[in-house]
Amino acid sequence: MIKKSIIYFILIFCSKFTMGQPTNSKFDSTKNNLDEIIITATKTERILSSLPLNVSIIKKSDIEKTNATRLSDVINEELGLITVSDFGGGEGIQMQGLDSEYTLVLIDNQPLIGRSAGTLDLNRISVGNIKQIEIVRGPSSSLYGNNAFAGVINIITEEPKTGLKGNLISSYETHNTFDNNILFSYKKNNFYSSFFFNNYSSDGYDLIEDDGLNTVNKFKTNTFQIKLGHNLGENLKIKINARYYTQLIDNIAPNSLTGETFSSEDNINFTISHKSEKIRTDFEVYFTSYFGDEFLDDEQGNRFSESFYDQIFLKPEIKTVYKISNKKEFVFGLGNEYETLNRTYFEIEPKQNSPFIYFQYDYNPNEKINLMLGGRFDKYKEYKSQLSPKFSGIYKIQNNESIKISTGYGYKTPDFRQLYFNFSNSTVGYTVIGYNVVEDVLNQLIDEGQIANIIVPIDEFEDPLSPESSFGVNIGYDRDIDEKISLSANLFSNSAKNLIDYRVIANKTNGQNVFSYYNVNNVSTFGFDINTKYKADNYFSFSIGYQLLYAYDLDARKAFENGEVYARLTPTSPAFRLNKKDYFGLYNRSRHMGVIKINYNNLDKNFSANLRFKYRSKYGLYDSNSNNYLDKYDKFVNGHLTANVNINKIINSKLTLSAGIENIFNYLDSENISNLSGRIYFCRVGYNIN
Amino acid sequence: MKKLKFFTVYIILLLTFSCEDDNNIGINTVSITVEDLYAPQEGSQGQSISGPFTKFNFEDGVQTESETNWDVGFRGTSIIVNGGVSLGTDDEPERNGNAAAYIFEGTMGEMQIVDTSLLAQDSESGYAIPTGSGNGWYTYSGSPTFLISPTPGKILVFRTHDNRYAKVEILSYYLGAPENPDAFTDPSRYYTFNYVYQPNEGATTFD
Repeated sequence: MIKKSIIYFILIFCSKFTMGQPTNSKFDSTKNNLDEIIITATKTERILSSLPLNVSIIKKSDIEKTNATRLSDVINEELGLITVSDFGGGEGIQMQGLDSEYTLVLIDNQPLIGRSAGTLDLNRISVGNIKQIEIVRGPSSSLYGNNAFAGVINIITEEPKTGLKGNLISSYETHNTFDNNILFSYKKNNFYSSFFFNNYSSDGYDLIEDDGLNTVNKFKTNTFQIKLGHNLGENLKIKINARYYTQLIDNIAPNSLTGETFSSEDNINFTISHKSEKIRTDFEVYFTSYFGDEFLDDEQGNRFSESFYDQIFLKPEIKTVYKISNKKEFVFGLGNEYETLNRTYFEIEPKQNSPFIYFQYDYNPNEKINLMLGGRFDKYKEYKSQLSPKFSGIYKIQNNESIKISTGYGYKTPDFRQLYFNFSNSTVGYTVIGYNVVEDVLNQLIDEGQIANIIVPIDEFEDPLSPESSFGVNIGYDRDIDEKISLSANLFSNSAKNLIDYRVIANKTNGQNVFSYYNVNNVSTFGFDINTKYKADNYFSFSIGYQLLYAYDLDARKAFENGEVYARLTPTSPAFRLNKKDYFGLYNRSRHMGVIKINYNNLDKNFSANLRFKYRSKYGLYDSNSNNYLDKYDKFVNGHLTANVNINKIINSKLTLSAGIENIFNYLDSENISNLSGRIYFCRVGYNIN
Repeated sequence: MKKLKFFTVYIILLLTFSCEDDNNIGINTVSITVEDLYAPQEGSQGQSISGPFTKFNFEDGVQTESETNWDVGFRGTSIIVNGGVSLGTDDEPERNGNAAAYIFEGTMGEMQIVDTSLLAQDSESGYAIPTGSGNGWYTYSGSPTFLISPTPGKILVFRTHDNRYAKVEILSYYLGAPENPDAFTDPSRYYTFNYVYQPNEGATTFD
């Protein structure tokens, strides 16, 4: 199946490639990326190509071309990023081989919260009003503090343009999925406002029948966003962004249980900016809350289970950019993060205040070199305070060729679940205790006679759990070979320390275990990615990307080296010893990944089409031969190729029609890949009011 | 409904070559594969577990109802030895022998000499073969497959009730030792294991 697909794809690709021989027509001489402004990398507006960091931008036009509706659709088509499903059905980002809980996700520069199981669900975010998506790869805690461990994804929504604008976009696809968008904006003189509404609903789908569950339950979501801005004078501006999101899922569970999961999210950001010739100061207050409530009832309507999750985050921050000269710029900021979480199965309602301070020095000694030095200090009470440095530099070998390097530190504090959880499974009987409440809860269990013996002495929990941390290096090379071909290559390496896992700390009298968290894993991910773009003529353009990734748990690798790991060929064959070549690496990591995009754009006929392929080589999801490690004798998820195609036709200045197919090859692996539901057809109508 | 009420024993290899070993006087070690030894329990995980243990004698290679002439007992995933004292769960048999056990990390072939200093007996605080996933002989996969699998590289070393030694490699916990067990359809609590028995009293080698 896969081999066939690859051949098919090569045929298509080659034929298009030859069709797309360059003609001698005039070229748009402005390079795509020269005028792209990115804000995430420095918290100031910077031209993308001048940055020493590994950054990329997905523009509105790119998103529109593919008719994507959710952020997960967009991320899934990017090289080196894959979406990974969690048990709750959420889809998070895996970046440079690091898990989804380690990437910070921002909307309009402000962090999103509500990672109830560690993952931030990318389906929460509609792309209907997005100006661009900025991606910074590599640890970035020097500016963003907590969670910017693997990198940062920042979703920048549209700013109103002068006059009254409005558009409506509606799409309908397989599984009765609707995505409807209304966007109005108005701007005049010193004032602007915009209103955005998105409604997204689906019947879901079920890949495995007879298990009493749906793969994706029926759901509906609504997003509202309002942006207001006012110039109070020549140099003084105020801005308010507010967003409200709700989601309702119809749950079903085995034994005829039914229920609902409701979640909602608020974000409000208020900014005052003052600008003078050399100094710009922003004062902002950001408030966000995430609320989740879930229940299941039995057939008689009796409550079977119920849980809730209620998180609040508040952050005032002041930031000053001082332009010392044309060559030097200094950014300085400080603020405080306040967070609380009220949740089922928590011993207490934790509250956390963490003040922070950061700076960044941006220096151009000459026209060819840019250097950046930054750092941030976050003060924590519950665990070790964090100092996050970052250093990066770019050297322009010539106008169309540059080499860059960036190094940085990233961290993630233990989440409240890892600190305060107190959960006993009612059917199986095991218990999970947060690190900070081990003493209290364990003593209580001992008093109740539930503990048979203690494996990890309680006094081992006296020292606080450490934040997980990473140190990353990215070395990049960019070159525009000519007006048609550009190349970008990047070597990356991340070494992550103190990753938190759980272990058995005591045995219970019912034969089950008590678990708690501890700092244990040291992980190393490294590899490279390479991306080329080829603009064949006025109609065709291509891009090809490849990523090689190695992701290892260093202690696991040592266990293999020491000959401490065994496997069997069949369940009834004797065990044999494995060696270090047999270690595959971390779960859910593919060694090879490839992306190919073919674009056709005919401006005369107002028609465009594009075809995108993504390949992921084999990966393991869990240990299938009971030795606790992923080795080459385990079961693997097969490597697979998926492809999406769509066409867009502009009927007139107001009306655009689109249609397409996702997962053309109908690739399915119902057991292992829950976010591929088979072939999906869609159509879409866009209407511009003016 | 499967008619298989009792386990079956296959003597795959009765004689191994150990004549040149000075420790062994006369009788050779015996290699045996036991298939589908059924070890039921009452009460599921999370509740208090009860029901009689399935007792086994290494010398005879069969299940036994004897109250004295047994070496190890199986109930669900728990394994007890006929030595030491009861942990105190319901229906545990009285220990009246000198059996003991420890877990050797390695392959069956690598386990050649018993390190008697590691032997432990059942006690009030725990069995000689610890219970719980990852602690003793098995690994529980949890969601989504919920499989109990014998951890490769764990060899159970036993002293019998009458001071002989045996080494055991458990191979399966499911009826018929299926190639790809399914915890939802394959009946569990059926032990398939290989063992090598050293019949000479006090002899601690297996080669």
